[in-house]
Amino acid sequence: MKARAVKGLDPDATLAHNFERIIATRLDELCSFVPRALDPQRVKALHDMRIAAKRLRYILEVGAEPCFGPYAVTAIKCTRDLQDLLGELHDCDVQLPRVRALQDELRAADALEARARAGDAPDLDPTLASGTPNAPAWRGLETLRIYIEARRGLLFERFVEMWRELEREGFRARLQYAITERPDPAAPRSPSDNGDEPSSTAASAVQSDG
Amino acid sequence: MAKAREIPGLEPDLSYREAAATTVSVRAQELFDHAEGVLDTSEIERVHDMRVATRRLRAVLEIYEACFPRKALRDVLGDIKALADALGERRDPDVHLAQLEEFAGAVKEADRPGVEVFAERVRAEQGAGNQALAAALAEIQDSDLRGRLAALAASAAPDGPPRRDVDGPAQDAGPDAPSEVTP
Repeated sequence: MKARAVKGLDPDATLAHNFERIIATRLDELCSFVPRALDPQRVKALHDMRIAAKRLRYILEVGAEPCFGPYAVTAIKCTRDLQDLLGELHDCDVQLPRVRALQDELRAADALEARARAGDAPDLDPTLASGTPNAPAWRGLETLRIYIEARRGLLFERFVEMWRELEREGFRARLQYAITERPDPAAPRSPSDNGDEPSSTAASAVQSDG
Repeated sequence: MAKAREIPGLEPDLSYREAAATTVSVRAQELFDHAEGVLDTSEIERVHDMRVATRRLRAVLEIYEACFPRKALRDVLGDIKALADALGERRDPDVHLAQLEEFAGAVKEADRPGVEVFAERVRAEQGAGNQALAAALAEIQDSDLRGRLAALAASAAPDGPPRRDVDGPAQDAGPDAPSEVTP
């Protein structure tokens, strides 16, 4: 997924000026996948949302603490947890078709074997489909398929719950606010002093978390 | 996973160019620090750490895209992407094998032959991935990626070498390539 263009970047301006713009864009980009990604069938939206979370996370890792308000540091963990969970989901989406393909391949080989056993018979004796060479393998793969499908479902439920929790916490609005703050050089900085009171310069505007 | 190294001297009022030079230097150093022993398939976290280091480096090159000469950035990003792809070719089977081993240990005996058939394929992919990674590591050595990254970082600094082609964004170097910057 190609990253969204960032407007207003200026190589001769300050770090905070530019990072504020990039983070605002990356945050919008991440949030733009909802509600699409809340549909478990939208595999691509989920994958792209993971990449968006990764992009946001990596710029926060560099700039949150030195440049912005305390919630920006908290947001590093939020985006990392989101990226990790979406990564686990993506692994399931990659693995499941591979397991299916291997299972189909083994079953097809066994069907050929059963057919060969029949030789010139006018019809296939059901007993010839029993005890084929790959049967233990494709039966085991069936268990693996069930496991991956069930795990994917569980992880997706966790993802929806995680996103709802981020919305409840006001993740978007708080990060939008935090990137308009600048740290007070005299005050100790910690993610635990987290956001009810601006640590220094007040934000000029906070958009709603929609 | 290795924690991202802190970038010394970053502060809100620092010039973007200076921040670019420092950040890319630190992230490039992180990448090469994680190169040790990555071909050892018994120590799979090394590949993971180096892969994450490539992601972090790519990310900062994209973040500071506006500070770098276009062509040099494009070339370096292309090489880092190739390295990241090779690391992924090794890492993905590493992870899947670990998951399959755990799964096989937890299920009934009757289910294990299927897991083993799948694991055999993944092991073959791991071997091929390791060969691809060895080639990619040799390539970054031969093409002096380290030196080119150092030169790129220096070119961003306000007192660095003049930038020749600053009149537009870098070209796309892949699906995660830098965004178009609209000043």
